[in-house]
Amino acid sequence: MSAVTAFLRERRITIAAYALCAVLFAIATIHSSGFASASNVRQLLVFASFVGFAALGQTLVVLAGGLDLSVPWLMAFGGIQLSSWAASGTSGVLGIVLVVLVGAAIGLLNGFGVAWLRVPPIVMTLAVGGLVEAYLMTIGQLKSSGNQVPQVAVDIATKRAGPIPVVALVWLGFAIAASILLSRTALGRRIYATGASEVVATLSGVNVRLVRLLTYVLSGAAAAFAGIVLSGYVGSTYLDIGAPYLFTSIAAVIIGGASILGGRGTYWGTVAGALTLTVLSAMLPLFNLSSADLEIVYGIVILLGVALSRFGAGALQLTRRSGAQDHNPDMEVGDAA
Amino acid sequence: MSASAAQAVAPRRGALVGRVKISWTGLTTATILIVLAVVDFILQPALLNLLQIGILMQTALPLVLVGAAQTLVVLVRGIDLSVGGIMVLANAATAVWVGERGGAHQLMIFLILGLAAAAGLLNGILVAVARFEPFVATLGTWTIFNGIALNILPTDGGTPPPSLISFTFGTTAGIPNSLIVLVVLLLAWRALRGSRLGTRIYAVGADEERARLNGTSIVGVKLFVYAAAGLLAGLAGVFLAGVTSSGTPTAGDPYILTSVAAVVIGGTSLAGGSGGIGLTMMAALALIFISDIISAINLETWVSVAASSGLLLIVVVARTLIDREIQRRRT
Amino acid sequence: MNAGTADAATQAAGRGQTPAGASAGSPRGLSVEGLRKRFGSVRALQGVTLHAQSGHVHALLGENGAGKSTLIKILSGVTRADEGSVRLDGELLTLGRPAASTAAGVRTAFQELSTIPELTVAENLLFGREPSIGGRVLRRRLNARAAALLAGLGLERIDPTAQVSTLALGDRQLLEVAKALREAPRLLVLDEATSALSSEDSGWVLEQARLAAQRGAVVLLITHRLAEVRAAADRITVLRSGRAVLEGSTSDYDDEQLITAMLGRRMERLYPPLEPASGGSALSVRGLRVGARVGPLDLDVAEGEILGIGGLQGQGQRELLMALAGATAWASGSATLRERPYRPRSPQDALAGHVALVPEDRQREGLLLTHTVRANVTLGALGRIVRHGLIDARRESATARAGAQRVGVAIDRLGTLAGTLSGGNQQKVVLAKALVGEPSVLLLYDCTRGVDVGTKAEIFALMSQLAAAGTTILFYSSDLSELVHMCHRVAVMVEGQVRGVLSRGQLSEGAILRVAVGTHHSTDGAVGADRAADLAQHGAARLQARGDDDGGRAA
Repeated sequence: MSAVTAFLRERRITIAAYALCAVLFAIATIHSSGFASASNVRQLLVFASFVGFAALGQTLVVLAGGLDLSVPWLMAFGGIQLSSWAASGTSGVLGIVLVVLVGAAIGLLNGFGVAWLRVPPIVMTLAVGGLVEAYLMTIGQLKSSGNQVPQVAVDIATKRAGPIPVVALVWLGFAIAASILLSRTALGRRIYATGASEVVATLSGVNVRLVRLLTYVLSGAAAAFAGIVLSGYVGSTYLDIGAPYLFTSIAAVIIGGASILGGRGTYWGTVAGALTLTVLSAMLPLFNLSSADLEIVYGIVILLGVALSRFGAGALQLTRRSGAQDHNPDMEVGDAA
Repeated sequence: MSASAAQAVAPRRGALVGRVKISWTGLTTATILIVLAVVDFILQPALLNLLQIGILMQTALPLVLVGAAQTLVVLVRGIDLSVGGIMVLANAATAVWVGERGGAHQLMIFLILGLAAAAGLLNGILVAVARFEPFVATLGTWTIFNGIALNILPTDGGTPPPSLISFTFGTTAGIPNSLIVLVVLLLAWRALRGSRLGTRIYAVGADEERARLNGTSIVGVKLFVYAAAGLLAGLAGVFLAGVTSSGTPTAGDPYILTSVAAVVIGGTSLAGGSGGIGLTMMAALALIFISDIISAINLETWVSVAASSGLLLIVVVARTLIDREIQRRRT
Repeated sequence: MNAGTADAATQAAGRGQTPAGASAGSPRGLSVEGLRKRFGSVRALQGVTLHAQSGHVHALLGENGAGKSTLIKILSGVTRADEGSVRLDGELLTLGRPAASTAAGVRTAFQELSTIPELTVAENLLFGREPSIGGRVLRRRLNARAAALLAGLGLERIDPTAQVSTLALGDRQLLEVAKALREAPRLLVLDEATSALSSEDSGWVLEQARLAAQRGAVVLLITHRLAEVRAAADRITVLRSGRAVLEGSTSDYDDEQLITAMLGRRMERLYPPLEPASGGSALSVRGLRVGARVGPLDLDVAEGEILGIGGLQGQGQRELLMALAGATAWASGSATLRERPYRPRSPQDALAGHVALVPEDRQREGLLLTHTVRANVTLGALGRIVRHGLIDARRESATARAGAQRVGVAIDRLGTLAGTLSGGNQQKVVLAKALVGEPSVLLLYDCTRGVDVGTKAEIFALMSQLAAAGTTILFYSSDLSELVHMCHRVAVMVEGQVRGVLSRGQLSEGAILRVAVGTHHSTDGAVGADRAADLAQHGAARLQARGDDDGGRAA
């Protein structure tokens, strides 16, 4: 296969994800022209950015072959801890930095359990999430005097730079940074290698444990930041603020074309996934569908999105009638090519 | 979530106790369960009667059933995130469809279980025929089933049939029905495990390529497994409706991850090919004992949450370290 | 066979028609006509036609990459051919389903072993035929029946209740053959069934082959050991590049002719001249133990030396090389690398010490199949292509290009996915990756397995160059000829230890084999009857058994 085809093929998966988003957007606009208005698009970008931040860490973790289920709690942590510290006098920006650092430290705990103790990520991150939840309950109890979100966070979440929401610009910045990390740094290569094959990566000299650890650290930091921004938008913080984002962060990564097993995918794909999910949930009220129906559509879109990206990669494999294995014994090409 | 992120495979051989071979894995899990059970009984001596145990089993049964469903799927190297969705689907259907129509309750419940199995079959088709990753396929179907359940029953409510309610709370020959269901499940598992199909299930999970080489229909085995998982999840939902005397369409989510936790704690490998429902059952009961202990101590909410997460963490880490040690001893 | 009818039959088969008069009067046995199979751009079989009669042992020879693996998988129903037909005793075989082949009486002892390690011996032996009542497997009867089967074959020492993963590789191979014999087959395929077996056990396998043929089966014996072929096979077919290039009676061809047919060129030109190893001590190992079964090992290797590691499969060669590469823990022992202590705790350590490994399984251990060639090559030395924290595209290209050129991979392939390359090219990419870091010690684990002859020659030439430039090479190969021609010395491993080291003057295939199987027969002695005495006495077994691509390793 030529270099150009390979380039296009990899991009094709991401392109398919954006195409899906565009199609949904078009359908919504056809149904109700107001959907494409500037104010609505701004709104969509803002909502999508929350998903985007939550899914940033998730993308890195998944690419390296893991999963982070503590994202919703880290998001709640971001908002709640920040207000708590703000109430005791820690200034906005410093507070944000500290909260993100602590979020990273929590991610470190996740990473340690997964990479060193070999606890399955589903269980490890679930348990750590629970511990964070418990901790947040204590803060909530101690700070009975409401929950003020520092102005900085509110500003980021609600202000605009010209016609574009600040938070969307921040998201764009993060996206570029993530993209550079993944495609242009040694760490990025190591992440992909670890996710593609832990054995090959190890034998090639990659410190797989460290790489996995780092992805969880970054995920913790990103989720904490997501929570900060989200609570800035909402104007308050509460325990369940991150709950919907567990599903959406994972779904965004999947719809974006990444392999849930790791080793394949890009953050730009996740961006497309975040946009798709946001457009989808914004569309549904237009069609008079209930939230229950929204769930059904979500599921269908996920399955469709994955099928589409596999089709785009030319790897859609329905079992042959006879069930015969079609692998060259000299050349077993993997299914996830 | 790559296979390498899963646990090390636990060996099936172990100590010889009398003429019975017990695996180290099972021994570990049983120890965990016994320790927790003892602690709970010490804290609540009133628990030590059959009726009270029956009530505890009622709480435990949905988790046990969902855990069993998850175990089957994990055995073939899959995962089923939709167990929560199938559960609430059956649950909502029981609360809404069965209660309203008079008579023929048993038939309706059988039909609902059939529906649950069909839901599981859909999962199986997506995984085995359309070759979706199990995680992805069941993530999609989970929300679909969840949505359907919410359509049937948008909020808690509905009226499950009285016959079901009296069954879940009742006894047969003095033994709580929930306990009987538990035992029946165990016996059914042993039958499956000892059958040819059981051998094939383990073979597919352990080494799919070689299983195929040996003439196993991979698709057939997986379809069965996912359908059976759906059935068990549906059963959990039906039973839950009896226990709570209503439909609870939003109750499914915690069961998903907890079922995976039960599988992991029990010692079944997420990579497939080893373990079993017996292990998961013990682990699920252990988790129930943990939450019972915590509620018995009557702590503030945050302590309960911290304690259950913390205990989960400790148990899983202990399990992982023990399994690694067993692996090391083997080589 | 008349060329005319062969063509007509092939054409007819290619059109999917039954050749006229084929069923009437066709001899009993296996009839393969015009089999073609391609995987993507790789043409594995290009019209294979083969006829093997019932009651005969028919040897199938060929280098790996010649198509033997593919042919076997088609016969056993694992893969379906693109074109062509297979007939057994005149009946057309439905291709592509293992169940159909089994029903037709095809039994295969696979080289990569079809026994499932996590199940017991009995469960594997009687898979699909377990005694059961109403679906419930009768354990005791299962074990008893398995025990009886094993006893009937003379394999009492294998415990039916043991988990297969606990068996030694040799016993697993025997079990594989036993499994193929659990019912009398019509076609018995033995694929490299003796690669890890002692001479006694190898003799047992050949005996089983003869017995099966006597009972009327067609026996297809795939092996590299020409001595085995002479001892057991009546007829030979040689495959090369996806075609049958030679077919006839064993006695009609001598070894030279067979080898030339397999390689397509004379063997001697395959190997480059070797310069004598000149340098001082490069690597010195004392008391290395790996796990419970390997060691203690002592080795001294000089700069510029190619030290061969020989012996039957599964004698600890893998553990040795993996330990030196930092991939397996050292239970005990010490080593010095160029006078400095060397005890790697991870492959990272090894690479930092300029020790590079080309692992056993290029697809599962050596390459990221879904990544490009460029990405694979540079994975071994990411530090070199990074500038100011970011990967410098130019440096990456340059490094990848240089790496590819060094091993002879075409530059225009740099952007292709590694999974789409042929076996030979894949191996070269793994080699390139290992060489990117300019290693002073190169560990090669069977790096020519499943590689076509042309690529092999390139790899050997490269090895010679590297050695001449001072690189120390530890070279494990299951091919005796390679060890003899490419090594300065050969250390033969038996049961986890170095049983003997042969210097250049002592090197011969017979010598290596003698140390490896532990026999001490002299080369002139009475010709024995059936057993493995034949092997040693016929002298050099030219080509030791080797793994086809899926590798004879347990999962």
